Amino acid sequence: MFKLRFCFEKNGTSAYISHLDLMKALQRSFVRAGIPVKYSQGFNPHIEMSIVVPLSTGYETRCDLCDLDLVCDDMPENFVEDLNAVMPRGMKVLHAGAADRPVREIAYSAYEIVLPAGDALAMKALFDGPVTLEKRSKRGRRDVNLQDYIKELTFANEGDKTLCRCILAAGNDPLNPMYLTQALKNTGLVEEDATAKYIRTGILDENCEIFWKK
Amino acid sequence: MNDTIRACLEHVRKPARYTGGEYNAVYKDKSQVDLRFAFCFPDLYEIGMSHLGSKILYGLLNSMEGVWCERAYAPFLDMEEQMRKRGQPLYALESGDPVGEFDILGFTLQYEMNYTGVLNMLDLAGVPKRAADRKELKPLVIAGGPCVYNAEPMADFFDLITIGEGEEVMPELMNLYRACRDAGESKAEFLKKAAQIGGVYVPSLYEITYKEDGTVAAITPRDGAPAVVRKRVVKDLDKAYYPEKFVVPSTDIVFDRAMIELFRGCRRGCRFCQAGYTYRPIRARQPETLKKQAEALIANTGWDEVSLTSLSSSDYPHLETLCEGLVAKFEPMHVNLALPSMRADSFNLDLAQNIQKVRKSGLTFAPEAGTQRLRDVINKNLQEEDLLEACKLAFAAGYNGVKLYFMMGLPTETDEDLLGISKIVRNVQRTFREYAKNKARGLRINVGISIFVPKAQTPFQWLGQISAEEAARRKEVLMESLNIKGVTYSIHEYKTSFLEAVLARGDRRLSAVLERAWQLGCRLDGWEENFNFDAWMQAFSDTGVDPAFYANRELAPDEVMAWDHISSGVTKCYLYSELEQARKGIATPDCKAGCRNCGALSLTGGKCDV
Repeated sequence: MFKLRFCFEKNGTSAYISHLDLMKALQRSFVRAGIPVKYSQGFNPHIEMSIVVPLSTGYETRCDLCDLDLVCDDMPENFVEDLNAVMPRGMKVLHAGAADRPVREIAYSAYEIVLPAGDALAMKALFDGPVTLEKRSKRGRRDVNLQDYIKELTFANEGDKTLCRCILAAGNDPLNPMYLTQALKNTGLVEEDATAKYIRTGILDENCEIFWKK
Repeated sequence: MNDTIRACLEHVRKPARYTGGEYNAVYKDKSQVDLRFAFCFPDLYEIGMSHLGSKILYGLLNSMEGVWCERAYAPFLDMEEQMRKRGQPLYALESGDPVGEFDILGFTLQYEMNYTGVLNMLDLAGVPKRAADRKELKPLVIAGGPCVYNAEPMADFFDLITIGEGEEVMPELMNLYRACRDAGESKAEFLKKAAQIGGVYVPSLYEITYKEDGTVAAITPRDGAPAVVRKRVVKDLDKAYYPEKFVVPSTDIVFDRAMIELFRGCRRGCRFCQAGYTYRPIRARQPETLKKQAEALIANTGWDEVSLTSLSSSDYPHLETLCEGLVAKFEPMHVNLALPSMRADSFNLDLAQNIQKVRKSGLTFAPEAGTQRLRDVINKNLQEEDLLEACKLAFAAGYNGVKLYFMMGLPTETDEDLLGISKIVRNVQRTFREYAKNKARGLRINVGISIFVPKAQTPFQWLGQISAEEAARRKEVLMESLNIKGVTYSIHEYKTSFLEAVLARGDRRLSAVLERAWQLGCRLDGWEENFNFDAWMQAFSDTGVDPAFYANRELAPDEVMAWDHISSGVTKCYLYSELEQARKGIATPDCKAGCRNCGALSLTGGKCDV
């Protein structure tokens, strides 16, 4: 058996494929590409795989990771090319290799948030102090201080957009970047009905280094 | 996808339904395309994407040089609200371009309750709903599908309607459209020529007059349109176009699997069943063809299931050979076979077990009526012993769930027939107690009861549907008798079935009702939570149309029917003789016992693969 990990992009229309649907879409891609995937034993055999850090529906990613068990002993030749030939539009495998680093070492996700043009300085200033918001998770709702989840944060005006680049907690208690937009909307720095675009740009370890590279 | 669509998607459930980009979706270079076709399905994405006919036509049209066929589905209410709020017109999923700018919008009419969906999609597209209000050739709004055997309630909205199978007529139509457009001909000139193509019905070329009592007086064609439009059929299914690729959805749909089509037509002749008459004659594919098609589809889609579809799959003569071949090929690939539409009297346990080596599904049978007398009336040639025998075999092999489908309100039905349903259910339970391999697991029986809707082009087309009061009374009888431990049941809403009955035997005067109902907010009427019966009743009253005239009235034997100018090949005379047999309670043997000369053979020059 070979434990494979690959890094992929999800752009354009494919950003709207939800986490559960993405599992299915990838599994079908593996079958189309003839990848020697490993099936689970049991009544309903399924392909052994996992998407390492789930992503919200509608968000793009330049760097998501998928772990996959193969029945072969080594990395299949042309894995990246074969899979890219059969992926849904907007999805692309960037590189693949052995899943040699444990997922628990993931600590942060980096995001870009594309906002309508606004006051970048005021936006930055908002997060210099405590920002309390109700955070929803599987375990329920609770008030949190967003500062506790933000590792790095910058705002810059670019053309008719304001670009927010941030590094946020991942792992057991992650922060969805939409809470930053929500905080900006609550204080009127972004209009209530404005549309924001979210792009995951990195999955990082404790030292804010790229968690996994081939 | 533009920014407006993106903004809409931020606020809707299941946005992947509205993006396109699925694997095998066809993208073409616009500079190489001279005919843009929007295949419009007037129901939600998860329904439309499950429909085989759409996949065939999508592949076929896109195989034509210079033609780009894209898809559009009815948006759910939340998406419609966003689109209207943001001024986003209905767009094609592939290009994101507004379908109102396309050459042709083609709707498929699968179900009467989708009719308002057509109007809503035209409105969202910014295209005038009535054909008479669209003066130019472009956009042309056309329709096809099983409802066309009486699509008169929709006649005012479509420029033309194709009757029957689309594989041959669609390319002919595309070519005619191109030729007329390039020659600068008017819409009227095009339609006149189109009416000369076999299977093409141009509603505006027929004048309908009515008698004082409201019945149809005459249907008069003009400009050389044929007096009767006969449906088109493909003679040789082995040679017919069949896609090697299906669009693979990136989100859940109803039938998320590959499909092969074993045969068209059905030899059984159940008298209530429209498909049983309108898909005749029987034409089968060879098992070799089917195996190749299934293999190509699985390789090109990555699906883990292939469904073997037809109107009655256990009647396919090569079923065992085919399944053996498919299981041998697909089992090692973890690909499951699904075999819907099995009859209890030809249930084959070995086969059922063989195909379920990969995954096990439940049993489903449709006795349709509770007594042998009534099953003879409707010509459902199924004996209760056959059903119990099939259950016995299945229970002994370890099955412990069964779904049973019945209808209520069938012609000549009495309370004894209704009570017969619970008798069958109890007999199935007894069979389980006697033969089950594992009695401790218990038996789950699911009973689904729908309300009979008389359909055009069937022997029961002359008959009326039972009234609301009578339906309510019979429902009580059923509910009382089906209160049995281990049995769950559901009975269809009468109101939906009533409206279906109005539209199924309706005429052109219902176009105004449909338009009014749409104005009153009716859409996605097939979804119970959206169905607004009061709004429909308001639409009837606002337009001065009596729905009971269409739903509940028995038609006179010699009455001109609103759909008399449309022919499925089966003659009206044959249908009437079947009605008379029904009234006498006499069943007609299935076509295998000998040709009954229904008339459908004339479509293929004598070929019928019974």
